[in-house]
Formats: sequence, C-alpha cells, structure tokens
Amino acid sequence: MKRRIFLASAASLLAGCAPIGTALNNNMAFMRVIYSAEKLDEAVIGTRGLAREYPPSAVDRNFRVNGFATPSDALYQGLVADDFRNYRLVVDGAVERRQALSLAHLRAMTQQTQITRHDCVEGWSAIGEWSGVRLSDVLALAQPRSDARYVVFRCMDNDGQGTMYYESLDLHQAAQPQALLALTLNGAPLDPAHGAPVRLRVPTQLGYKSAKWVARLELVGSYANIEGGHGGYWEDQGYEWYAGI
Amino acid sequence: MKRTIYRYGPLTRVSHWLWVIAFGVLVSSGLQIFNASPHLDASDKSNPARRVLSIGSPTDGVGTTTVFGHTFTTTGWLGWGSDGMGGATARAFPAWITIPSYQDLADGRRWHFFFAWIAIVCWVTWVISAIVNGNLKKMLLRPSDIPKLWPMQAYYLKLRKEPPPHGLYNPLQKASYTAIGFVIAPLVVITGLALSPGIDAIANPLTVLLGGRQFARLWHFTGMILLLGFFAIHLFQVLTQGVVNQLNAMITGRYRLSEHEVES
Repeated sequence: MKRRIFLASAASLLAGCAPIGTALNNNMAFMRVIYSAEKLDEAVIGTRGLAREYPPSAVDRNFRVNGFATPSDALYQGLVADDFRNYRLVVDGAVERRQALSLAHLRAMTQQTQITRHDCVEGWSAIGEWSGVRLSDVLALAQPRSDARYVVFRCMDNDGQGTMYYESLDLHQAAQPQALLALTLNGAPLDPAHGAPVRLRVPTQLGYKSAKWVARLELVGSYANIEGGHGGYWEDQGYEWYAGI
Repeated sequence: MKRTIYRYGPLTRVSHWLWVIAFGVLVSSGLQIFNASPHLDASDKSNPARRVLSIGSPTDGVGTTTVFGHTFTTTGWLGWGSDGMGGATARAFPAWITIPSYQDLADGRRWHFFFAWIAIVCWVTWVISAIVNGNLKKMLLRPSDIPKLWPMQAYYLKLRKEPPPHGLYNPLQKASYTAIGFVIAPLVVITGLALSPGIDAIANPLTVLLGGRQFARLWHFTGMILLLGFFAIHLFQVLTQGVVNQLNAMITGRYRLSEHEVES
C-alpha cells in the first residue's frame, strides 16, 4: 500500500510539472518574466575572455552541416557558377564610408586562423579550422558612425518560407578578437554547404550567431524594426539574442 | 501527552517549496533541452565513439535507448512516444515529462535558465541561514561520523536497538546533507555553466577539468539523476514517517512530536 502511494506521488509530482508548465508557456505575461533571465545572464556572463583554441589534431575533417539548406535561387547559383567573382560584401547603414568588398579584396587583407569549437544550441559540438578576416578590420574600413550600435548580418539563405536568415551583434561583441568573417574551413575555401563564400564565426556564443552565406553588414542604431524585431532569425522564434549561454 | 513544537521558520518553508518548484521545472525543461540532441558523449566535441547514452528512433513507431553500447527497446517511454499534441513521434523523453510538453527547445531553455536562478537563490539562502543559525557545523559530515554510518543504517533496518550517539542530525542525515547540499547541487550548477560558450571563454580550465563540453553535459545529466535519487529517498521518508504531520510542519512550521521523540 505504502509503496503504491509512494510511486504514485513520485510520478504525479514529476508529471504534474509538464501540463502546468505547458499551460503557463502560452501565457504572454508569465513568459515575459521567464524571458527576463536573459538580461541577467548577459549582465553576469557577457562577452569577455577568449574561446579555447585547439591543436590541428582536434579538427573534425567532415565538419557537420546544419542550419538552412544551401540557397538554391538563381542569384546564389550564379555566384557559385563564376566562383564568386561577382560577390561583394556590402557594409552599409550607419557608416561613414560604404564598402562593397570583393572576395579578392577580403583575401588580400590580414588573415586570422582559429581552430575553435562550434557549440550548437541543440547541444552538440564540432571543431573546425577557420581562416578569414577579423570582423573588426572590415568594420574599421567602413567607419561606423557614432549612432551605430549593432551590426546586422544579412544572409543569402532562407527558411523555405521566404524569410531570410539574419543575425546581429552589438559593437562590443563585434570587436571581440575572435569574431571572424571566415573564408576557409579546414584549409579549403568554404564550400556552399558551409556558407560560401563568407560566413561569420563567433566562438564565444552559440552556433546560430555564426551566420552562413553573409552578403551584407548593415550598421544600425536598433534592430527593433528589422524582421521580427528580436535581432536574428532564431531570436524571432524565441531564442536568446545573448547566445553566450 | 503529545506536544507541538515550532520546527521550521518562514524562510526555511518558503525556500523549501520554491526549491520543489524550481527542481521540478529544471528537470522537465532539462529533459526538453536534452531532446534537441539526445546523446551524451564522454568527450569535448561530439564523438559517437565515446557515446555513453543515446536515445533514438531507428524506425517509425520504435524507440530505443543505448547505454554503453547496449541497446534496449523503450517504445512509448524513450525514443518514441506522445508528442504532446495528441499524436506520437520520435522524441527522446516523452511529452508528459517535458516543459513545454511539445518539442520547443527555445522555451525549454528559457524556463531552465530562469529557474536555475531561483534554485541558486534558494541554495544561497539555505547556506547563509545555516551559517547564521549555527546549523552548518552540526550538518556537515566529519571523519568521526564515518564509522557511525553503518550502525545508523543498521538501526533503521531494525538490526540494532539503539542509534549510535549523535548530535542534532544523525550521521546518515549529515552524509546526505553534505553530499547533496555541498557536493552534488553545486556541481550541477557548475557543470551546467561549463556548457555555455560564454562561461567557457571566461573559465576555460573549468570545462577542461570536466573533460570538455560534451562531458560537462554528461556530468550535468548524472547530477540530475543523483538529485532525483535523493528526491525519491526523501519522499519515501516523508511518506513513511507521518506524512500529514511532516507536510503540515513544512507548511505551518508546527511539528507534533510523537511520544518517544525528544525536542530538537
């Protein structure tokens, strides 16, 4: 008898959480409170320190492909067909000097190589060797104006329903020395599945920040009026803008 | 003549129930988060060669759980089960135990990270009040308590008439408070933090010490299992030692002593 009561109470205590939690999950006011923890996490953890760098032996030779499908539209396929000779990385918005940088230009700039771990929000991790241009070097060419607070990464891929991928970093995060506009993965130019010709690497935050197929860096004072208003494709689906946790 | 004593102060009672809620939410939302990548590897990066636990669905309608390379069919419980919306689907932990019930990593993470703060506040409150009211010293297991652990267990198993002499808390109580309060609970927080790339950048050696990010995820999960074990034992004790009186004491603070019980 006692054993039955014990098992029943243990199971119902645990199983009771799910329906109550699910009901509350649909309550906007309640979820606003739950979502507020992000501000605390950002204040406590923030963006400081450097991601660990690994020896070449740690690299995953077949780096996992994740995220949206490789763009299949004529524009992107045209870029692939002529080896990205017509690709330009546009840097505009709240800048003093708008830029349209060719791949050749980016390759001629000072290159940084990092062997870092990519931590997916789903929970898995993979290690790759990335080379490219520091984000801060590219931003310095464009000279952000004093009203610029965020850099928004406009990408060439979409979710299959027409919404384009985008991401954003604040200028403090963008100045982080490991924030990289990667041109190569494991010693070879990025292939289309891994975000060719330019993808972002932000190893101090979760993988969804590291946008692939980057076409444009737009400097803005606020991202409130862009797409869903939360600063990124996944942020618009409820994920944290501060992806350091 | 039975007497009633005032056993638990308001801070103890509030933090106890807050902790109950936080723990339930942390387990349920943690399983939701686990479902997004239902593997545990004893490694830094993901590595199938060092996989300790994997829950999956090889074909529709079948759920399997693989532990240290041994695969069990767990259809309906693990790998394949209710999707929380009236149907069945491939998912590691079933809808009835996750928050929210349907698959939603984004909100699962939100719940988890909010209630992690609540749990930390409860823990800090508990430690500070234990220090202030002098209970901490009586609570921590000392080397001299170790030889008394078995005699105490023997007393509980009715193999011994008298418990070994002890202070406010008996040796088994001290052992569980020390293990849970000062070893496992802090480790669960630390291993959880080690999963986050922002913390990893600040405190590299911590993640390295734990064996890497995936290993930290394995430790975090193991810590949850141990806390659930403590919860089961605690619940068993409450239910077998006057559940009404115990529950009443943790709600009102007032505990009715049985005839042979001394005031403590």
